[in-house]
Amino acid sequence: MSDNLNIRILKEKLFLICIGILTIATVFPLFHIMYSIIANGLPVLIKGGWSFLTGTLAPPGDGLGGIGPAIVGTFILTALASLIGLPVAVLTGIYAAEYPNSLIGRATRTLLMIMMEFPTILVGLFVMNLVVLPMGSYSAIAGALSLAIIMMPYVAVYTDEALKSIPPKYREGAFALGLTRAKVVFKVLIGLARKGIMTGVLIGIAKVAGETAPLLFTAGGASRVYFDGLNRPIGAIPLLIYNLVQQPYTNYHEIAWGASLLLMIIFLGLFLPIRLSLKEVKL
Amino acid sequence: MMIAKEENNIFLKQSNLKQNYAISTEKLNIYYGDHHVIKDVSLNIPEKVVFAIMGPSGCGKSTMLRAFNRLLELNEKAKVKGDIKVFGKSIYKMNPIKVRRIVGMVFQHPNPFPHMSIRDNVALGLKLNKLVKSKKEINERVEWALKKAALWEEVKNKLDEPASALSGGQQQRLCIARVVAMKPKVILMDEPTSNLDPISTKKIEELIDELKREVTIVIVTHSPAQAARVSDYVAFLYLGKLIEVGSTVDMFENPKEKLTEEYLTGRMG
Repeated sequence: MSDNLNIRILKEKLFLICIGILTIATVFPLFHIMYSIIANGLPVLIKGGWSFLTGTLAPPGDGLGGIGPAIVGTFILTALASLIGLPVAVLTGIYAAEYPNSLIGRATRTLLMIMMEFPTILVGLFVMNLVVLPMGSYSAIAGALSLAIIMMPYVAVYTDEALKSIPPKYREGAFALGLTRAKVVFKVLIGLARKGIMTGVLIGIAKVAGETAPLLFTAGGASRVYFDGLNRPIGAIPLLIYNLVQQPYTNYHEIAWGASLLLMIIFLGLFLPIRLSLKEVKL
Repeated sequence: MMIAKEENNIFLKQSNLKQNYAISTEKLNIYYGDHHVIKDVSLNIPEKVVFAIMGPSGCGKSTMLRAFNRLLELNEKAKVKGDIKVFGKSIYKMNPIKVRRIVGMVFQHPNPFPHMSIRDNVALGLKLNKLVKSKKEINERVEWALKKAALWEEVKNKLDEPASALSGGQQQRLCIARVVAMKPKVILMDEPTSNLDPISTKKIEELIDELKREVTIVIVTHSPAQAARVSDYVAFLYLGKLIEVGSTVDMFENPKEKLTEEYLTGRMG
């Protein structure tokens, strides 16, 4: 009997060791990515100093200059995308939550799930056809529109889920007060679901702030002009990295590492607060 | 004691024009999908009384109560046949929003809106239904309602704190204040004390006794003891059928139906 027990304890230990090794194998690449970005990017940021954040791109093969236009561009694109996408997304989420059994409600929910996983480069192509070709130029508005389309399903699904997770007693309580459906939703339920909706908004923003593919054929990129109008091409950090890495100049590769570290800082700056606030998302 | 004949029972008799009933139902049938929940219930509820609807769990009493303010319609599966009148007017000829302003409701689980302050919870219905005009009037009505709900003394110094900070019993009284503030003519109560401790229950029951001077209260309860304590009249519902209805004293002292007697003596339910 005791032999049998020993074998079982041994099996248990083996199992734990296997899980441990596999976990390390999974997490290791993530840490390696972060390590290489910091190891390569930090010296660039230190060498470039403040002007790396504010200046414009250096000529090929000559110094660092700065990635100011890309940083400004990323913020403008994200803000503009939020302006276009968030109201539509929140209203879509409300519709899906309020009319879950209607044909449109069910179709909306399915489409949102598909949109979440949709290849983002196809969104870029779509907006190129819709906006860039007729306008004859890459533009900030085209870039923002494709980001808005990508952001929308995340925010809508989170809004839908947040509203659905409200215990029915609050809905009934609000209706029992003689409120119209619009007032029930906008004056009571949205307030109850605000944390869930905010989480969706932040996840949507974090998602599009790092997107490259949808900007390739829409925003066009600009590395020497900060902002030239909504109908003119605009820069973005991921787009700049993509472009710089393809160049044969070593100073451009250095700038790309610096920009990568900056992008990671922005991403974590958005993502960590979300993770922390997620713990509070309960009713 | 003489057993009253059915045709002389004012709670069952149809088209009794002399009495102005707060709520009356005519051949009320309610279905959830294929499930026939309420079967042919015709019932008259007089004004300014406490009327208890009593019966074992699952007999359809909550469902029937939800039909009275058309809240049942939020559930797509529910279907209602027959008619319900509030003060002689069919609720199906009125806008549901208007019905719910006349017929307020208190729920089984206290449900003040946890993200709003105590004051805002009471003021919400007033503000959104535009029942009062100035901010001063709102504050006066909030104070009046909280006093009516016997909650004012406990919360008067923390009106702007969130409602979720209150105890369960206080939350339920806040819900009563929220309804009372709208000055409804009828208040429906769906087992309002089933989640409360005995002391909170006692407070709510005293409150019900106080409120009936001005409004009609229809309370659903599975507890015969509570029905006996709070109600003037009681209807006994079993498997969706109205078994017996009458004055509380009569029914508890001298139940006419065997089923009622079994329920009251705890041999069923």
